[in-house]
Amino acid sequence: MTDKAISPFDSQPWKDPSNEPFIRIRGISRHYGAVKAVDSVDLDIYKGELFCLLGGSGSGKTTLLRMLCGFETPTSGVIEIDGQDMSDVPPYKRPVNMMFQSYALFPHMTVAKNIGYGLAREGMPKAQINDRVDELLTMVQLSNLGSRKPNQLSGGQRQRVALARALAKKPKLLLLDEPLGALDKKLREETQFELMKLQDELGVTFVVVTHDQEEAMTLASRVAVMDGGKLVQVATPRDVYEYPNSRFVADFIGGVNLFEGRVTADEENHMKLDSPEAGLEIHVGHGVSCSSGQRMWYGLRPEKIRLAKERPDQPHNVVEGTVEEVAYMGSLSVYRVNLDSGKQIKVTMPNLDRANDNPILWDQRVFVSWGSSAGVVLPL
Amino acid sequence: MSGSTGISRFLPSGKTLVIAIPVIWLLVFFLIPFAVVFKLSLSEAAIARPPYLPIMEWDEEGILTFALNISNYFYLLEDDLYLSAYLQSMRIAFISTALCLLIAYPMSLAIARATPAKRNLLLMLVILPFWTSFLLRVYAWIGILKTNGLLNNSLMWLGLIDQPLAIMQTDIAVYIGVVYTYLPFMILPLYTSLVKQDGALLEAAADLGARPVAAFFSVTFPLSFPGMAAGCLLVFIPVVGEFVIPALLGGPDTLMIGKVLWSEFFSNRDWPVASAVATVMLVVLVVPIMLLRLAQQADEVQA
Repeated sequence: MTDKAISPFDSQPWKDPSNEPFIRIRGISRHYGAVKAVDSVDLDIYKGELFCLLGGSGSGKTTLLRMLCGFETPTSGVIEIDGQDMSDVPPYKRPVNMMFQSYALFPHMTVAKNIGYGLAREGMPKAQINDRVDELLTMVQLSNLGSRKPNQLSGGQRQRVALARALAKKPKLLLLDEPLGALDKKLREETQFELMKLQDELGVTFVVVTHDQEEAMTLASRVAVMDGGKLVQVATPRDVYEYPNSRFVADFIGGVNLFEGRVTADEENHMKLDSPEAGLEIHVGHGVSCSSGQRMWYGLRPEKIRLAKERPDQPHNVVEGTVEEVAYMGSLSVYRVNLDSGKQIKVTMPNLDRANDNPILWDQRVFVSWGSSAGVVLPL
Repeated sequence: MSGSTGISRFLPSGKTLVIAIPVIWLLVFFLIPFAVVFKLSLSEAAIARPPYLPIMEWDEEGILTFALNISNYFYLLEDDLYLSAYLQSMRIAFISTALCLLIAYPMSLAIARATPAKRNLLLMLVILPFWTSFLLRVYAWIGILKTNGLLNNSLMWLGLIDQPLAIMQTDIAVYIGVVYTYLPFMILPLYTSLVKQDGALLEAAADLGARPVAAFFSVTFPLSFPGMAAGCLLVFIPVVGEFVIPALLGGPDTLMIGKVLWSEFFSNRDWPVASAVATVMLVVLVVPIMLLRLAQQADEVQA
């Protein structure tokens, strides 16, 4: 291990097997009748991580979070937080605080009373509570709003109050349920970076539930992708994006063009996939554990594809097509290209110059190409 | 824009019509009768039919004279029967309201926290008594509470008592009857305010370290104040003027203003004094309600 991590994202505690996880989840299931909301999940989360549970609705991510704070009882399995088995610990005794999706601010209390609620339950003296509340109000930049009621605040302000309230007791673990869901885009981005800064400064372990993959990518030290109550992949945002382990993950995180193919060559340093769907034999510049003749998926991100009017000078992975649609998005343009095989793909290219003398337009014949390490081979 | 041209400008809009219906209803069935009662209270009793003198009269010379008689109100102060009846009504209404609240709160909470299917069943059970006549149900209580009634017979049979309990014709019987009758009026508004509370608030309280009891008193209870206020008003106001229950279950000592009112009208045939009693009762009840309403409005403006 390095001496001291500059930011939690520089250290990778999950890579060191001698590290004790802060949260240890073993064989956790939660069944509602026949429905398996969470299905035998094993997961380790380490101190100082900003961990994202990512999944669509009904993937079980919220149920898993609610089991961490004790609002749901697992059907089976064990959750340990900081070495302590949580099975018989009621929510009000757990070293955990949660920021609710609806914020759940007490409508009859002022902002200051909301923030100080947890401290008052601990029996902290009034003067001390006031000091701590002032400190938190300053931190979330609401110093002059302590005497307001929640319904006198904007959505962004309420969200800050909820965050301050969840941090008031200096929890070892902070759970956030869709923390940015109700905010507009600009405020979301600001808040994302604020959350990261806070997490860095306070050294609290964050577990964030979100359905927004962009949010997860920006925030997280690691992402767990959930589907149907199971963990599909647990990795860093970069790995989840660049090395998805399944078609589901590749599709869920960012856009992807998928081609079905059959393994025709399987060497140590490269492999070949014959894909009638793409209309060529795809060359992959690394070995993949597979057998010859096996059917596999080839996933290719839109930004890893190049379009050109002239045939590029490369031996593999060039195919022809016709541009169906161009959408100018400012920083980049999105192209829909019909390959000659009939398959439609999505390509994004950065707009490098302000004015392009020779742009690619509708109905243009183009050469579509990509590098031999641009795509990812996925099991069917 | 289109609504303000031509003839439609002179017709009331839909909004006005909707508001007009309850306003007309109150005008016809509350305000006008009250004006009649108030007018009566200012006239003089007489042995006549109707038993009072008109307050407005044309005399022989064609002069219109008004004879406003406020002595009925002074009379209410002179005879302490009225004051003690008011006070006792207030006391009975207050204690009954408190008892209703005490019984209704846990019931409402249990109904609000039950599963939706059970909740509907429990609500049905609360409302079910309304399907039989109120009078019948009060008579049923006579059957239960009287000296050789159901309650005493069962207790004697069980050997818990060897003398019948004297409950009938006491204040206790009145309390039983009143609390039984008015309990649904407390439960329903309380239930409504409890059931719409966001469950996440209690989770937030627990998450911040509040044990269930602390969470109840710091979150659920204060948030149910509006429901409690509504329930208390719905019980307190009609109980103050209650006539049937004290007449049937109460004894001669149970002096409530409703009974006094009734005997002034029908036994003494002193309509003006009876009207004065009714007017004072209304004022006594309306003033605190208005104050409460003002306080609520101030609260809303602040919020």
